[in-house]
Amino acid sequence: MYKAVIIGGSAGSFRVITKILQSLPKNYPLPILLNLHRLKHVRSGFVEALSIKSNIPVIEPYDKDTIKAGNAYLAPSNYHMYVELNKKIALSTEEPVNHSRPSIDLSFITAAQTYNRNLLGIILSGANKDGAYGLKKLKDAGGTAIVQDPKECEVATMTNAALNLTNVDHVFSTNQIIDFLLKIK
Amino acid sequence: MNRYELGIVDTRNIIKTIQETYNYNFKNYALTFFKRRVEYIIDRYNLKDADNFIRRIRDDKDFFEIFLKEMCIESSEMFRDPSLWRYLKDEFFPAVLKKPQQYKIWFPEVNSGEELYSLLIILNTLNMLDDVRIMVSSLSQIHLNKIQEGYFDYSKMEVNEANFRRVFREERLNDFYTTKDENAYLDNSLLKNIQFTKQNTIFEEYPKGIKLILCRNQMLYYNQILEERLLKSFYNCLVPGGHLIIGANEKINYWNSEKDYILVDKNNNVYKKKLS
Repeated sequence: MYKAVIIGGSAGSFRVITKILQSLPKNYPLPILLNLHRLKHVRSGFVEALSIKSNIPVIEPYDKDTIKAGNAYLAPSNYHMYVELNKKIALSTEEPVNHSRPSIDLSFITAAQTYNRNLLGIILSGANKDGAYGLKKLKDAGGTAIVQDPKECEVATMTNAALNLTNVDHVFSTNQIIDFLLKIK
Repeated sequence: MNRYELGIVDTRNIIKTIQETYNYNFKNYALTFFKRRVEYIIDRYNLKDADNFIRRIRDDKDFFEIFLKEMCIESSEMFRDPSLWRYLKDEFFPAVLKKPQQYKIWFPEVNSGEELYSLLIILNTLNMLDDVRIMVSSLSQIHLNKIQEGYFDYSKMEVNEANFRRVFREERLNDFYTTKDENAYLDNSLLKNIQFTKQNTIFEEYPKGIKLILCRNQMLYYNQILEERLLKSFYNCLVPGGHLIIGANEKINYWNSEKDYILVDKNNNVYKKKLS
C-alpha cells in the first residue's frame, strides 16, 4: 500500500534517524525521503555520518534524479527539496520558508501531492514548527501521519506543533516507528 | 505558505496568454515550479485567482516585468558554496589567466548581483579585472537595473559577510559596500568590461568564443528538454577546453553528454568542454 516514507526532523533527530536507518534492511521496499535541518555551510560530512551505520544507501540527490525504492534521499543543505509528479527530485534555491531551507513543509506537501494515500510521513524531535503544516497536508491527502512521542524527544517543539495541527494516526517511540517501518511490505 | 492552488488547466492558459501577448515561452520551465511561482505571485499581489492574474498580465505591461522578476529566482547569497570561490581564487583563475589573452566569461541567467559581484571581488583581489570581458544576460530588466546600481538586500549581508570570511579569511566585505536607507550598495565601479543584455526565454543569439560559463542553480527551474537544449548551446558557445560551472547539486547527464563535457573538479562541479 505504501509507496514512500518521508521523515522530517531538526534538533535532537540525528540519533533517531541513525537508529532508524540502522534498523532497516538492505533493499528496503520503499524510498525514504529525509529532510533534516542542519548548518547550511557544512555541505559535506552529514551524509557520510548518516551512512556509517545505515544498511541502505543515503544519497544527497542531484536535481531531476529519479526516486528509487531502497534509497534514502537527504535534502541537500541550502536547497529546498521537492517531489515532482513524475517521481523525480526537484531542488530549488527559492526563499527560505519559516527561516528554513530546506523546508520540511515544502517536501511534505509536494510528496503528498505525488503519493497521496500511499505516503507515510513522520515528524521527529525538533526546535521549530516546520513540518506541522506539511504533515497536515499529507494527512488531508490521505496519507498516514506519525509523530515521535514528545516525551521521548530531545526538543518537542516540532512534534507538539504537528500534534496541535493534525489528528495524527500514531504517536510512537523510536522503537515503535522502527517496528512499523519493518512491517511494511 | 501559499493558500491559493492553481489547477493544471489554468497554468497552461497562463503560459498560453504570456506566449500570445509577449512572445515569451515558459512551456519548458519545470511545470510545478511555474505553477508554484504563479501561486506565489497571485498571493503576493492580491490577485485572488487565475482569471485575475491573466487579465492583469495581459493588460499591464509593467506587471509583466514584475512577473518576470518573480520568475527569476535570485541567487540566495554571495559566495554561496565558499569552497568553489576559494578554488576560483586560489587555483582556477591564477592558472587560466596566466598569460595575457582575451578571456570571455558569460552568465547566461543572472538574477541578482550575488554571483556577479562575488566573481568581480575575486578578480579584483587578483588584479585580474582588466583581463576579462563579462557578458551578463537576464530575463528581467528589473534585476538588471538593480545589479547595475549595486543594490543588495541589507538583511542578507550577514550571510554574505560570513561566506566572504570563509573565502578570504582575513579581509572584510565592508570594504566593498556602503549602506543607505536600509539597503546595501556594492561598489559598482567594479562593473568594468561588462555587457548587460535583456533576453527572452529563448536566446536569440548565443555569444561565441566563451572561455567560462557560470550558470549555477538556474537550470533547476527548467524541464529536461530546456536543460538539455541549453547545455548543448553552452557547448557551442564555449571554446574547446572552456569551462562550465553549474550548481553544487546539478549534473550534466544527457544522452552522450560524456562526449561533450568532462567533470574536472568534482567537489566544485566544474566541467570542461572536451577538446575535439
